[in-house]
Amino acid sequence: MNFWETITGSDLTREWKTFEARAAALPADHRAAWEEIKVHLLSYGDFTGRNLMPILDGALGLLEETASEGQSVHEVLGDDIGGFCAALAGGEGARNYRDRWREQLNRNVARKLGRPGG
Amino acid sequence: MDDLTEMLKGTLEGCVLEIIGSEETYGYAITRRLNELGFAGVIEGTVYTILLRLEKNGLVQVTKRPSGLGPPRKFYALNDAGRAELATFWAKWEYLSSRIDKLKEGGR
Repeated sequence: MNFWETITGSDLTREWKTFEARAAALPADHRAAWEEIKVHLLSYGDFTGRNLMPILDGALGLLEETASEGQSVHEVLGDDIGGFCAALAGGEGARNYRDRWREQLNRNVARKLGRPGG
Repeated sequence: MDDLTEMLKGTLEGCVLEIIGSEETYGYAITRRLNELGFAGVIEGTVYTILLRLEKNGLVQVTKRPSGLGPPRKFYALNDAGRAELATFWAKWEYLSSRIDKLKEGGR
């Protein structure tokens, strides 16, 4: 990633395009699961969403592999796509906005306690 | 047997380690193996997240190989850290199951 890409996020746009091209080649139910996975994973994104790219790449890879083996999406992901995404994001170390709020709250409380009356 | 999922959660990672330990294998084959063992509720997505965790914790060696059809497949083999982790898992399992057996027999 060079400076230009860091500032503009142009590499992300490019990567999104390749993701969508790959997803377009999937069978319909796998494509639907991909849409759902994106929605769930977005809440784990950081400001640019760069942290999600390897996770999305892996999830898409899983869909591609299982589609080529003829498995149904239900066989692969079950009913709980949200849970799958949470495990996925947790495994890759992405934190969601709730984690960040908690952290902020803890920090603020600690600061207040450190300075009584302040 | 239904509804094993909750109980299985803590041990599934060890089961996957054991399967990888016996031969280099890939996600789909691991899921199939677990299903054959009688863990019918285990789905590939679950195995996939476990494999990611093992990879992140540096317990497995990953090799990408072309598959007959579709994208290349990721094959997993244990490294030294993985083998150590597997030994620890079985030691913990021995401990846990012996305690629970004892409880069931009413001993102290």
